[in-house]
Order: sequence, then structure tokens, then C-alpha cells
Amino acid sequence: MIKGKCWVADDYVMAYDIIISEYWTSPIDPVENSKMVMAGVKDEFNKENGFKDNDFTFIVANHNFAGGGKSIEHVITGLMGAGIRAVFATSFARLQFRNAINYGLPFITSDDEMHLGCETGDELEYDADKGIIRNITKGTEFTSIPAAPFVSEVAASGGLMNFVRDKIAKGEPIE
Amino acid sequence: MGMTITEKIMARSSGRDKVVPGELVWTDIESVMTMDFLGKQCFDKFRSLGKTEVFDKNKVICVSDHLVPPPTQKFANMLNEWREVVKQHDIANFYDLGRQGIAHQIMVEQGHVLPGTISIGTDSHANTYGAVGAVGNAIGVTDAAVAMATGKAWFRIPKTVKFNITGKWQPWVMAKDLSLHIMGMMHWNGHLLYKSLEFTGPAISSLSMAGRMTLCNMTVDLGAKNGIVAPDVVTERYLRNRTNEKWDFVTSDDDAKYDMVYDIDISDLAPTIALPGKLDDTVTVDKLIGKKFNKAFVGTCTNGRLEDIATMAEIMKDKQVHRDVNMILVPASQTVYLEALQAGHLETLIKAGVAIDTPSCASCAGLHTGVAGDGDIVLSAGNRNMTGRMGSREAKVYLTSPSVVAASAIRGEITDPRTFDI
Repeated sequence: MIKGKCWVADDYVMAYDIIISEYWTSPIDPVENSKMVMAGVKDEFNKENGFKDNDFTFIVANHNFAGGGKSIEHVITGLMGAGIRAVFATSFARLQFRNAINYGLPFITSDDEMHLGCETGDELEYDADKGIIRNITKGTEFTSIPAAPFVSEVAASGGLMNFVRDKIAKGEPIE
Repeated sequence: MGMTITEKIMARSSGRDKVVPGELVWTDIESVMTMDFLGKQCFDKFRSLGKTEVFDKNKVICVSDHLVPPPTQKFANMLNEWREVVKQHDIANFYDLGRQGIAHQIMVEQGHVLPGTISIGTDSHANTYGAVGAVGNAIGVTDAAVAMATGKAWFRIPKTVKFNITGKWQPWVMAKDLSLHIMGMMHWNGHLLYKSLEFTGPAISSLSMAGRMTLCNMTVDLGAKNGIVAPDVVTERYLRNRTNEKWDFVTSDDDAKYDMVYDIDISDLAPTIALPGKLDDTVTVDKLIGKKFNKAFVGTCTNGRLEDIATMAEIMKDKQVHRDVNMILVPASQTVYLEALQAGHLETLIKAGVAIDTPSCASCAGLHTGVAGDGDIVLSAGNRNMTGRMGSREAKVYLTSPSVVAASAIRGEITDPRTFDI
């Protein structure tokens, strides 16, 4: 069970704005990438730890979260480094959806009502096993689409690197 | 029930007779591409998996494209580290400065992508590989590291959407216009999210390899998993001198199941432009006639090929770029550069006042030569127009085809190449 404060995003939060181009050539590192994460999304986040200092645990977004292309993993590590434990959105851009799975950061598809009923700062609770998202502040509850078994398995390993490293070490086939 | 071409490729690459959309499989990878600004991290991660040798030294393709030649000391140092790590792993196919090109162009042009197989790359426009009937997919550094170690990647089988393209291409109307038209029609990352897009029909059969690459390239910007054109005589001719590997003409079954089928007649398709900010905000050229701009750019993995340069040269021959416009052409690879030189196109363009830069991703990702400054209005044949994409967040980028950029650069305002006096 994860509990914490949420930030509610607008439509079309682009990967470009989560990590602005100046930082694409930085090393992929949660601490480093989290310093300027979301710098292009809102002016108030465009300073060192501007997003991170809000101590958000969840992001609630609408369509196409982290879209607009870019396969850079800095987007995911930046969010994780800033303390984000799950993102709920109506839809996710494919490239970052894949990266999120590989890092074990839950990108959870939820419905429109979830987004409409949430305000930044609301206290949420996420029960990953049951796929239930509770908005404690508003007293509402939503169900998410359950993750595929492979996705849960990768998350339980702590990401694809660990998942594969473990298989290689044990000499198990990857299939 | 039959399978679509993408399903067939995913099935054969995962050692199965059949796959269905939604299924999750690990597939064999034909080639893994990585490039200068992410490559070192791929190799570092790869070694952290406990491996020292890549799965196949001929199938890990390394390209210098985003940072070359280095415009800053930071980039110069990154490139030195990159060269060192490529050397350390004894990679056979390293396209460094001097042999460089934009990675996706290199992958197809140098025969590293084969019909009926899957290739991946650590850059979003890896979808380009679909032009030769392969599944091309963009992945992150993690997936690349895993593929370097194991020769495999995981995929969820996508549903396929078919675009049946009919009609005759009008003069000066290009594959880019069709891409932008579909972008406007389907909207950005809407219905096509996670889908495989299959392009078929008479207007695709008659489309050159360069055009097919443009079309497949931009499917990532539609939110799709991949875009693909089944191999045919155009593919065979294109690959004849590029690879000695065997491949076959894999196609969709007649009874394959599609999520949706769209029919588009291109007979009256007009040159199309995406307005600054969002790719799916498109209009036909007539809505913007007379719009002034100060920078013109042709290049990128979308439109930096010989055919694009030839089209520009045809339009710009014996004319002059307008004095209020700076124009840059960046060929997509050294091979394209040489071919354009030998064909005389570069001479034509230089005489017209076009600056030619050495092959790289250039200003497309806002990292290299020709970036946009505050207040610039750029008419670009690239692939993205989001705020800040080509440099300043105060610049505006209009996206269109090379023929529109060429004709407009002469006039100094947006011009329909179909009515331009050539």
C-alpha cells in the first residue's frame, strides 16, 4: 500500500517538458535527473528541485502522459528520484510506458473520472495488489486496469535489469 | 484466422507458429542500434548484467549522429568516452565521424535491417526500419543493454491498423504530406497508441524507398508501436547491393484481422503543414500562403535523403534563397552527401544560397548546428515542432515537406510548390 500527495497534470504532459533538452545528455541517474524534472511543464518547477520539493508521491494525468516521442529513460528516473511511486493516467505514450515497466515504476491506466475528481495536494492511497486507488481527501475510490503478470514480475524484481541479470546468473532461458 | 505482417514477424522471431494481439513475447533481435549520447550508458548497463561480450559483434550497430562533429567540449569528451567503449567491445559496425549518418538512415542504407525481422534502436525514430518490411522499434537504454547481452527484447503483440492508400501522387506532393495528413486525421497519440500501422495499396507500391522511410519514420509520432510496408520489388531492388543476407517476402494473410482499416485517396492530397506546438495541428498549404519565416531547414531521419535533396534542387535551380531567410541542408548520411554531390544537387543548392552542413541530427533535436533562437520562425522538413524542440522555447517551428520548404525559401514566405514557377 502506497500513500501520499498527488500532483494533477494537464493534458499532453510531454516527455520534452518533463526533461528539457538541456538535460538529455546527462547521465541516467535518479538523483541527478530529479533535480530539474518537470522543468518545462510549469514555471514554478523550472528551478533546482522545483518539482521534487513538493513531496508528491503520485501523478494523476489525463491523455498521453509523457508523449511527444523521446525514448530517454531520464524521464522515468527523474520522476522516481523526485519521489513519485505511481502515475495514474487515461493513457500513456508508448516509449515511456515501456521505460516505466522496465524500471518497475507503476504507470497505471485509469479512467477520466479519476482525473476530473482529483486536485493537486489530495491525499491518495494505492493498493497495487487489488488495483484500487482511493482519494482520501475526497472520499472517492477508483479501480485501475490490472498490470500484466510480466509487468508485475519485472516490478517485483526491481526492474528489467535485475530480472534479466538474475536469469543470466542462474543460466535460465529468457523466453 | 490469418496474421498481419507484424504478427507474423513477431511470431517467427519468438519461435511460435502464431501470436495474437495482447500476448507478451520475448523475440530475437536482428540488429540493436545505439548512438553517441546514450551508447556509453548502454554498454555500462550491458556489462552490469554480468556479460563482457555482446550477443553478436556484427549486430550491435554504433553510430555517431547527435553530437558530431562536437560543437562543445562537453560533447567532445562524451564522444571520446563513446569511442573508447565501442572499441573496447570490438564492435564491427561503428559509423563514426567521417562515415557517419543519422542512425536510422545508416541502419537501412547499410543493410542492417532485414525484411521479416525485428530491429531496435535507442532513439524514437527507429520506426523507420518498417520501410523495408521489418519491425523497427524504439527502446530505452535498458532494453538495448538487455538485447546486447541476450539478442532478445520483450514485446506485447500490437493490434494492427491498416492504411490502404490509393490514387496518384501529384507533382511536388510527398510522403511527408501523407504523414502529416494522417497525423491531422488521427490525432496525436490518440487511437493509434500502441498499434502497428500497416501501409498498403497502389500509392504505396508506387512509393520510393525514401518515401516509405519518411512514412514509417513518423509513425512513432502517431503514438504507434511500428509502421510497416510489406517487402516488394522496390524493397528487393533497394536491398540488392546492401546485404548478402537471405530474407523473404513476408506479407499479411488475406484473412488477417485488423483493428481498423482506413482508405485514403491521395489524388487530391495537398502539401500539408503542422503548425507550431503540436504535430496533429495540421493545415493544407493554402491556409498559410504568404506567412513569413526566417529560417529554413531540410535534413533529419525524416527528410534528409537523396530524393528530398533532388526535389529541392529541382525547385531551387537558378534561383536564390530570399534575403530574409537562412537555409540549411543537412544530408542524412555521408553516402547521401556523396550521392547528392555527384548528382550535382549540392552545386545547385550552394549557388542558390543554401548552407550545407555535414551529416548529423543537426538542429532537429535542438542539440547541434543551426538551432533556433528567440523569435525565430522556422520552416522545417524535420519531424517535431514542440516548444523548444529546435532550440529556444520562444521559437516557432512549422513542419512540412522538402518541396514546400524549397519553394517557400525562394519567396521568403510559405508557398505552394504546385503553383511555384519552376
